[in-house]
Amino acid sequence: MSLYRLCGALACLLPAAAFAKPIAYQGGTAVMGEYGAGTMQEFQVFYAPSYRWSAGAAQLRLDADDDSFSREISYVRGNLLLKRWNLPRAQANVFAWGGVGSARGSDFDGRETAWNAGGQADYETLRFYSSLRTDWQYARQTFSHRIDTAQLGWAPYAHDWDRLATWFVIQGRHYSGGLYEGVEAAALLRLFRNNKWGAAWVEAGVTQDGKLQTMFMINF
Amino acid sequence: MIRTLTAALLAALLSFSALAQDAPRTIQLHVDGLVCAFCAQGISKKLGKMDATAEVLVSLENGLVAVALKPGQDLADQTLRETLTEAGYSVTTIERKAETLDEVRARLKAKP
Repeated sequence: MSLYRLCGALACLLPAAAFAKPIAYQGGTAVMGEYGAGTMQEFQVFYAPSYRWSAGAAQLRLDADDDSFSREISYVRGNLLLKRWNLPRAQANVFAWGGVGSARGSDFDGRETAWNAGGQADYETLRFYSSLRTDWQYARQTFSHRIDTAQLGWAPYAHDWDRLATWFVIQGRHYSGGLYEGVEAAALLRLFRNNKWGAAWVEAGVTQDGKLQTMFMINF
Repeated sequence: MIRTLTAALLAALLSFSALAQDAPRTIQLHVDGLVCAFCAQGISKKLGKMDATAEVLVSLENGLVAVALKPGQDLADQTLRETLTEAGYSVTTIERKAETLDEVRARLKAKP
């Protein structure tokens, strides 16, 4: 079983699934996995010594929608909280990240040094969530892919931390570099639960092409 | 003499009892930015590790963090404010109350 399939299976097994931030909380470890409709599959582990930054490693697989090429990228990454606004009953954040790794591809020989950079801006209340995120993967003379994701979430009830949180999420995603033509839209159900050992969320849904889009995150 | 001693003992007992009643059982902090369950997890872990802490209650809906104190213990406002700031949140008020954590839970639950 590949790592990606294992992540997908784990996502299905979790009892339920807030929203992905690269820095959870001071002293916290975040484990995240995503199966992005067959185009993007990613597994990440980050540790946050402070609420302002975290560091970790990840594995990313990208597959062109027309099966013309694929990429396997292993990388290390640092995440930085650039700005946070703590408001009554709301929070907004701006994150940036960057890292380096090694890439293999079906359309080139050997391994290439791959750089990555990105950022996220989000605004969240107990009932509403919005985020804009960009991820850029780059290997000189070989590939350049940007994955831009916008999300809007709505919770039918305000959740407290000891209750199951339920969110309905609409996602739009644009891939560059020949991965996918146009904007990929997805409708998702996200469930989040805290307990004594940590917190977990899982989401699942479908894209307009009828493909599975799923993600999980565990913080401890 | 016996009357004086009895009166003094009685007065001492009464004042001790009054002090015990006035001693704070919980410290209640109102916090801005408290919206995600991951936040609650981090705050609960940090405050829960402190020697004076018996239990922690985080209410996202009320923007409230309540710390139940061990008998005879206390936590300085400055320590609490620094802890929450280091966790990434903004403390707006800190209150010491004689309410137990169960009473806080019941009050929040009864809130419309």
